[in-house]
Amino acid sequence: MSEISFRIDRERNIAHVIIDTHGPLNVIGGAFLSEMQTAAATAVEAGARGIIFSSAKKRSFLDGADLKELFSLTDPDSVRALLKTMHGTMAALARAKLPVTAVLNGQTALGGGFELLLWGCDHVFATKGSRLGLPEVNLGLIPAGGGTQTLRKALGLAATLDIIMGGRVLPAESYADSGFLTVCEPDELMERAVQWIEENGDAVNRNYDPGYKDPGTLPSEEEEALVKKFRSRYTVSSHRRFYEAALEAIIEGKDEPFEKALDREITLFCELFQNPVTKNKLDLFILNTGIAPRLMKAARGKAAPADSLAIIGAGLMGRGIAQVSADKGMKVLLIDVNDQVLNDSAEVIGSTLDKLVARGRWMPERRDKLLANIEYTTDYRRLEDIPLVIESVPENLDLKRRILRKVQEVNPDTIFASNTSSMPMADISEGAIKPEMVVGMHYFSPVPLMALLEIIRGPQTRPDLVPTAVATGMVQGKTCIVVNDGPGFYTSRTFALLVIGGVFCAEFGADPWEIDLWAREAGFPQGPLDVFGSVGGEIVYHAGRFLESRFPGRIEVPESIERLVEAGYTGAGKPCFYTAKKKPDPSAAEFIVRKAGVPAPTREEVQDILLYGMANEAFQIKHEGVLTDYMSMELGAVLGIGFPDIWHGPARFVSSRGVTRVRDRLQELHDKFGIKYLEPSRLFDYLAASGVESSLV
Amino acid sequence: MENVVIVSAKRSAFGRYGGTLSDMNPLDLAVQVAEQTLVLENRDVKNQVEQVFVGNCIQSSFESASTVGRQISLGLGMEVFTTTIDTACCSPLTCLRLGTQAIRSGEIDTALVVGVELMSRTPHVVRNMRKGIRIGKVEMIDPIFPIEYIGYNPVSVDASDGAERYGVTKHMLDTWSLGSHRKWVEAHKNGRFEDEIVPVTATSGREKVVFDADEFPRPTATLAKIEMLPPIFGARLITAGNAPGLNDGASAAVLMSEEKARREGYPVLGRVLAAGGVTDSPDGIAWVPATAISKVMELSGVGIDDIDLVEINEAFAAMPLVSTRILAGDDEEAWLRLLERTNVNGGAIAIGHPVGASGLRILMTMMYELRRRNGTYGVASICGGLAQGEAVLLENPDNK
Repeated sequence: MSEISFRIDRERNIAHVIIDTHGPLNVIGGAFLSEMQTAAATAVEAGARGIIFSSAKKRSFLDGADLKELFSLTDPDSVRALLKTMHGTMAALARAKLPVTAVLNGQTALGGGFELLLWGCDHVFATKGSRLGLPEVNLGLIPAGGGTQTLRKALGLAATLDIIMGGRVLPAESYADSGFLTVCEPDELMERAVQWIEENGDAVNRNYDPGYKDPGTLPSEEEEALVKKFRSRYTVSSHRRFYEAALEAIIEGKDEPFEKALDREITLFCELFQNPVTKNKLDLFILNTGIAPRLMKAARGKAAPADSLAIIGAGLMGRGIAQVSADKGMKVLLIDVNDQVLNDSAEVIGSTLDKLVARGRWMPERRDKLLANIEYTTDYRRLEDIPLVIESVPENLDLKRRILRKVQEVNPDTIFASNTSSMPMADISEGAIKPEMVVGMHYFSPVPLMALLEIIRGPQTRPDLVPTAVATGMVQGKTCIVVNDGPGFYTSRTFALLVIGGVFCAEFGADPWEIDLWAREAGFPQGPLDVFGSVGGEIVYHAGRFLESRFPGRIEVPESIERLVEAGYTGAGKPCFYTAKKKPDPSAAEFIVRKAGVPAPTREEVQDILLYGMANEAFQIKHEGVLTDYMSMELGAVLGIGFPDIWHGPARFVSSRGVTRVRDRLQELHDKFGIKYLEPSRLFDYLAASGVESSLV
Repeated sequence: MENVVIVSAKRSAFGRYGGTLSDMNPLDLAVQVAEQTLVLENRDVKNQVEQVFVGNCIQSSFESASTVGRQISLGLGMEVFTTTIDTACCSPLTCLRLGTQAIRSGEIDTALVVGVELMSRTPHVVRNMRKGIRIGKVEMIDPIFPIEYIGYNPVSVDASDGAERYGVTKHMLDTWSLGSHRKWVEAHKNGRFEDEIVPVTATSGREKVVFDADEFPRPTATLAKIEMLPPIFGARLITAGNAPGLNDGASAAVLMSEEKARREGYPVLGRVLAAGGVTDSPDGIAWVPATAISKVMELSGVGIDDIDLVEINEAFAAMPLVSTRILAGDDEEAWLRLLERTNVNGGAIAIGHPVGASGLRILMTMMYELRRRNGTYGVASICGGLAQGEAVLLENPDNK
């Protein structure tokens, strides 16, 4: 056998199935399934008392389907056949007249791997830190190894909806209260599993036990309300068919016979398999996990990450950068103007981590190690032997230049990384002692949660700085894209147009809250006016004015934004388009300056102004040479600025529509509404003249 | 002076390096293609051919590496004088020019032109075996790696430098290259290569395969993936993605005096208005097609705006881009308009570049498309090693 190893412990008469498939993770393919069937049959024949599954891989117990194999299948019939085989394997295990358990030692059981535990196994033993979950929706799919049914039988409907719809992967501790999993120490794992088998020789698998009752059954009104809540949260955009399919499988299946529900699950999966959005989501997953690391390795070259760094400015951003760096073992010096500010930030960092520990998400040791890596000071002389300084002070050019001078006076050879969201390196480094030591490292808020880091190569930046910045970003766990210098670089400039476009639509007479709804229907995670408040109106206004000054005749700030800011409608604790409870606040509407002579845009027009507008800007930025490649265009848009992931990114979006059609639509919207930045990028002309209509990404 | 017309033009589908054609004898491939080219609407004109011109750059890929043209004529059963030409990639168009001159001078009425190359069959070279060798390793040279002439830059470096000199960005090179694949996909889907491709029987050992579709294009290529490829041979902008392959294939055409073709009722597909050869400094391969096209425009009096279709061989993406940019007088808008009518069915980056066969391929691809579009003038141009260039300006005789 090549995918698993099988042996029978003669002393205790237990069959051990050790999973070790080809590749770095254990994954489920056709060969694995047939070996599993053979192993189960052999165990039964040999009269073993029970079966214990374990994994030979350090971090992976069993992590879903072999995507490569799955997507080499071109017709739904062979997908169906493969799933049927998987179901057959699980059912055979579950129905075998011997107890089946599994042990997880700090390993992951994702998707089909978790489903094996939920269906084929009678009980699971896992150490703390083992992680289990059903992340299928993140790939535009649904669980199809029985998960929509077996998870409910193990945890009840509420938790099932939460995990499947959220695509969640949770630590073993979160499952400890249910009856199917026991958390225990690593050295007692195997013994506990053996004992359980010895004590439960007559165990009946819960999925086949006619007397079994789902845990946490709710009264029907509560159940209806629950389902309604999930439906309204996840099915706003009809493009995300996988959410509807997951809901259908869970809800319809719960009152059906097990077999029928399983069959529905397969049918729904096969339908998604041919859905272009699912293809986009999967390709995005490959971009994120396979291609981006290759791009980063190329950009990093042989550079080593900075072994220690200083962060100037202990605000929300600075603290976030300190936290992710210290978490990965880097020594961090956090600098700010006075001890009071520093004390406060130390307190905030501490309490944030305490919450993670209290919720069981983090081990206390991880927190303690992190905190020990951060030092707080007001003394710039400490920068003498620090190789990398990241400034994270407010967006004020003079302030940033002053800080740069102060840093270079102490240590002219340190790398000075500016965490600015829009100021060009050329501006910041002007008049510096060593302008070649300035590079951009643009983080996204909240830093611990946002995967993207945009690294900016200024016109004078010394060639070895970008590789060091990339290497450092990689240690911090970030997906780095490298761009050239320019106002707003790639992400901020494109992002600004989301909000600006939304406000223009409101000025043309579309209802602000309808605009947000339409945006979400089009696949945006948040509507533009919602973004206005959550980013902060002041920030939007100043960034907008800055871009307006640098792109005259192309980008302009709608008058309403100024009116809103003047009136204090800036969000972030102050009023904006939504109340603190995310209910519409109609009072914001009175600051919208209604543009005369322009017809109110339809739903489709609003969606296109937002989507095509961002895509157009991304292409224009590529044309200007700020963005150097289409892969980074996709990564930056989806990871950094909320471009709908269902399209994979601006380049795939344009590919799917056709270059000429996109150009024509932009021209049409530009002419109808007079929004200057909708003038089609010249890049579209070059693509079209070269015969490129699609296949950009 | 006699008008010279093309009465027949055919080619094999082009093969991948090491692909379907790679085990064939180039002689066999050339004979199969020429044989089918000589049949015009069911009339075999073999016995009317008075001279044969054969272009080939790697004669050592033949079993006997000399006068390979004469070997091909004999293989066709023809006893006529045959000239073998090696002007690198220019070879088949140089052949066409010489054939045109022979007809125009009144020396002959009918000529067969052939271009053939099986790059997969290029033998490796061991130079020191004749005197015997002493103990130690034997050095073996691959004459097609890294595609350079000793004492000069690799052609990829010249192409790259040429692109930079004329402000053609890597992004544009990559875009054009994806476009080449996309345009081929569209043309192939719509059967636009059916006029030019004739099937050949490829033999590999005891296996025989009928080969009739280009096998080098990549329908699944994306611009993002092309962009990720690393530069090659010390060039800054050139990658495997914006260069053609090393390919296998053959092409042929029959030239006739228009007077004879009309008299005998043969199909008149294209009228050769001008054919010209030019030379530039050895590093000028990226822009030499523009020089060659300028020459045939001058010879014929046809201006760039009157030309409906341009075909410039994609020895690299730099050649069509740099050359059209020069022809457009560095006017951006004019350049884009010119690009829209250049290599409209894809080029060598997709179809492949069997060096001795491409010249006739680009000419016939352009000619058939000119007829399909009912256009008037079309020009095809190719660059050759050490910066020589050939161009042919055709007129569509059915649209005048």
